Amino acid sequence: MAVSSIPEPKKRNWAPYLIIGAILMIVIGRIIFLGTVSDRFNAAFFTRAITESFKLGSLYALIALGYTMVYGIIRLINFAHGEVFMVGAFATFFLFSAAPYPWPVAVLVAIPIAFGVMRILDFWRGKMTDPIVLAGGGVVFFIAVWLLSATTVNFVLALIFSMLITGVLGIFIDRIAYSPLRGAPRNSMLITAIAVSFFLQNFGLLTLTRRQTPFRPDTVLNNSLVFNMFDGTVRTSWLIVVIPLISLVLVIALTLFVTRTRLGKAMRATAQDAEVAQMMGVNVGRVIATTFLLGSMLAAAGGAMWGLNFGSLNQPAILGILPGIKAFAAAVIGGIGSLPGAVIGGLIIGFAENFLTAIFPRTPEFAGITEFKDTFAFILLIVILLVRPSGIIGEDLSEKV
Amino acid sequence: MAMLEIDDINKSFGGLQAITDLNLKVNEGEIVSVIGPNGAGKTTLFNLITGVYKPDVGDIRFEGNSITGLKPDQIVDRGIARTFQNLRLFTNLTVLENVLIPQHHKLKSTWFSAVFRTPGYLRREQQMREQALEKLSFFGPRLMSFRLYQPVYVLSYANRRRTEMARAMATGAKLLLLDEPSAGMNPKETAEITQIIKRMRDEGGYTILLVEHKMNLVSEISDRVVVLDYGQKIAEGDYQDVVNDPKVIEAYLGKKAEGDEAQNDQLTEGDGRTS
Amino acid sequence: MLDTQKRHRNTILNFAAIGVLIVFLLIIDGIGSVKLEQAFALFAIWGIAAVSLNLINGTTGILSLGHHGFMLIGGYITALLILSSESRARIANSARSQMNEFTLGLSIKNWFEALGLNALATDDTLWLRFIVAIVIGGIISMIFGLIVGIPSLRLRGDYLAIVTFGFGEIIRLLASTRLFAPFTNGSLGFSGVPSEFGKSLWWTFGFLAITVFVMAKLKYSSYGRALQGIREDEIAAEAMGVNLAYHKVLAFAISAFFAGIAGGLWVSWLATARLDVFLFTLTFFFLVAVSVGGTGSVTGVLIGTALVVFVRQYGDPLEESYTLWQWLLAGGVLLLAAAVATLIYRNIRRLRPRLNASIYIVVGLGIIALLIGLFAASGGQLQSEYRAFGMRAIILSALLVIIMIFKPDGILGQAEFNWAWLFRERKDQPTDEERAQDAWLTGPELSKRLEAAETREASAETAGESSEAN
Repeated sequence: MAVSSIPEPKKRNWAPYLIIGAILMIVIGRIIFLGTVSDRFNAAFFTRAITESFKLGSLYALIALGYTMVYGIIRLINFAHGEVFMVGAFATFFLFSAAPYPWPVAVLVAIPIAFGVMRILDFWRGKMTDPIVLAGGGVVFFIAVWLLSATTVNFVLALIFSMLITGVLGIFIDRIAYSPLRGAPRNSMLITAIAVSFFLQNFGLLTLTRRQTPFRPDTVLNNSLVFNMFDGTVRTSWLIVVIPLISLVLVIALTLFVTRTRLGKAMRATAQDAEVAQMMGVNVGRVIATTFLLGSMLAAAGGAMWGLNFGSLNQPAILGILPGIKAFAAAVIGGIGSLPGAVIGGLIIGFAENFLTAIFPRTPEFAGITEFKDTFAFILLIVILLVRPSGIIGEDLSEKV
Repeated sequence: MAMLEIDDINKSFGGLQAITDLNLKVNEGEIVSVIGPNGAGKTTLFNLITGVYKPDVGDIRFEGNSITGLKPDQIVDRGIARTFQNLRLFTNLTVLENVLIPQHHKLKSTWFSAVFRTPGYLRREQQMREQALEKLSFFGPRLMSFRLYQPVYVLSYANRRRTEMARAMATGAKLLLLDEPSAGMNPKETAEITQIIKRMRDEGGYTILLVEHKMNLVSEISDRVVVLDYGQKIAEGDYQDVVNDPKVIEAYLGKKAEGDEAQNDQLTEGDGRTS
Repeated sequence: MLDTQKRHRNTILNFAAIGVLIVFLLIIDGIGSVKLEQAFALFAIWGIAAVSLNLINGTTGILSLGHHGFMLIGGYITALLILSSESRARIANSARSQMNEFTLGLSIKNWFEALGLNALATDDTLWLRFIVAIVIGGIISMIFGLIVGIPSLRLRGDYLAIVTFGFGEIIRLLASTRLFAPFTNGSLGFSGVPSEFGKSLWWTFGFLAITVFVMAKLKYSSYGRALQGIREDEIAAEAMGVNLAYHKVLAFAISAFFAGIAGGLWVSWLATARLDVFLFTLTFFFLVAVSVGGTGSVTGVLIGTALVVFVRQYGDPLEESYTLWQWLLAGGVLLLAAAVATLIYRNIRRLRPRLNASIYIVVGLGIIALLIGLFAASGGQLQSEYRAFGMRAIILSALLVIIMIFKPDGILGQAEFNWAWLFRERKDQPTDEERAQDAWLTGPELSKRLEAAETREASAETAGESSEAN
């Protein structure tokens, strides 16, 4: 038996629970302390903070799912996933904001959309040259061209289109950059992923925009929502309902896909052991393509809603980095490779980020705290990786993709 | 006093009890073989001795000092070195470099004097080189001259095994743990490696503990044979006694049932011929 | 030739090479082209950083992505310690200054004056203060290297890479916070850092020579071998007595020290120290240099650095504005070239199918782009100008992907340039005599003794195997 093939015994490691417990104690203690001295911490405050946390957390969860799926299947930390998210956000922005497109542009945009639809039909038919797949692609192509060149697209449609385009981009990245490196040292794959990330950042600067872009689409989704709690008024927007709802729908769809369909089962088999799965007749290439398609689609949905939520998109070179890192931290917290873990990790990050900034009053003595917000994401990532790289959820809960 | 003393060690992985209450003594200048069916815990025993794992219970003493809980590199410092069952050489480095690296832990010079090539460091480097050539010459001329500068990945499998043994010797250890030294070798090479292990004891003065599946090698060189099964020592002693021990036969062949007699005869017969 | 003769020849050739390099630098200095001098100085500075990164990434085999953090520490400390009194006064008088009395007083000049060494505090002896400052910067950076190196004891591979990346970013983000702003002057940074050192060929190449000397000697010492052993197989290295903790942290510390030196020269080259010159992009450039040149090879890394610096300093034409049809033409040509290169590559490597379906798509797109471009050019359409910002980074990242796919070890691999190479002397090839002996050793038909042994053993083995088979 090789040294490495024997699993190290699992030791109960209490350190992460202690750390998280300590952080929670500090937060709760702080809230109680402040609650006694100010009237800011009423039911309305908590309602708002919790809903905001859910909103942010579900966005992180969507991105984290992409990281965790790709890592589960090909053991690659997809450094470029944050940039895929960025492309998704900008794709939604451009599809939605620009009025009817001239027909050549519409045709160009419709090609990846049609291809994405074909890929999805392919889940069901199992062959790209299947007549139904081809016909579906053709029909969608013409509909997309017509929609883009003759009408204004509403937000949901833009979201769906953007998800398809970004999904195809994910497959494309994998095909060009990652697939020649299957079986290569993991450091080489990570370097490639970093290179792809840089490529996308700078390509975004080149083709999309070079500055911060306001993104306030006029849809019913972000209408303001005001309601009275018993001791205060909560002013927010419908997004606190819409974003978690869309995320929930997507996550449920993904879970059903992974657990109920043949391809989903093939994915889980590949995550266990790609080589054996291949020998058992699983088309691993197709599984990997599906993984990238689904992961990128979820990231695109996250990106679109991110823009909707914050009302603006940062410039392409930096938009993807921080959400990407935080989502990666979320994936690691939940146990990388595990789907429920990614969702739980995303929510934890969302809650932590929101509460840590919300509970401190906006007085000068605490003004420095928000500066540390981004640093906090990195510190959290390092602590999690050092203390418990397998994630706090542990093995028993985690279902490998 | 025995060179290596293992007292009642236990090791479990989760629910799997890999080693149970194992006692073992290795005297200086002995060649002790550990045999047993696959999964009997032989390699785990090696991993416990070399510090890759820590025993749950029990103590391992080397030359009277406890080495339990030391890190692998500290145990090498004390004088125990090992080879690996499936070859863990530094594949992209040359044969010479492979045999120089295990001598690094004895180097007293700081990295600073190594960079500026102080006379003291150069002297040590020269010594290391001579030592490496000496260890490699154990295996005849096949690892010498131009082979010294070849990266390990161009070597044949047998030559890699030899390089790994030379590497273990170069650590300056007194006790060598050889994990299946003849795995993947043809009969001719096995015969040669058997002689070399003998010479390592006789000329090099090493004490050797080895895990092996090839019975002819075991029978030829072992002073003592230890049989493990399910992490327990089921027999110990002279090769002939051990292979005729009913417990050992049972471990290898399963409980005696009708129809197994012929196979049993074959085992003793076959081994009789080789020894 | 005998070994001693060879060694003497190599020594002479080494000195000759250094002489040639000095003459070369003199010529560049003599030409007087500022741009050329700056490019060469930048090559030396980035060379220091890339060669030091190579110690972790190439020699020890740990992917480290936090080099910009080390450079930031070295750079800011050097800048702060040698900043001139005028610059300090300017910062002190500025309303947006974030520095305080104490940090403004952190100057080697003040310390020397306090010690009564007034001769060392004049403008003529700035070089001495620069050396002191850069060494202090290097040492503090080295301390951070120790801290960053500690996780390497628990983690491996890609997780460790992410942790080092996190550390690099944390250093950069912390430098902008209120806590450290007194030292870094927040987002304003320092301007007016003395630039006579970073822009001087002699200073930069001097430091580069020291770095290359240390790294090359380290690589071929016992310590270097131990580090390479860790790269090849950590478990085996530990089982052979290499103390993993000590050696990994040592690699991080030495590497961080030289990164700090490079940072000091880099702020001097820029004449400013700002946070946005220490982005992750910097580490990415070094990563390209290390990966393209050869992971683990000092000479290879220098070649890679030359490439990166060339693209950065002379890549301006790539980022100028061109009309849209020109872009279309360029894109079309690029696509066709990629298709042809793939075809040639697959042909050479005898890969099947020679023509993938996707190649037709690429060729088709290329031809369409070419046609549209040509028609638009003749028809006077698509005349809007378009400027391609970030084209250099795009090219470098595409290059990195290509290298990773086709030659993951880089151009030189782990091989180092040496003179024996040039003279085609190979120690690892047998002489004819040795070849004959080797054949005799391994071929039983040539050796009666081995043949006899083989037949004897073969019979024994069959018997032994029959017992095992049971």
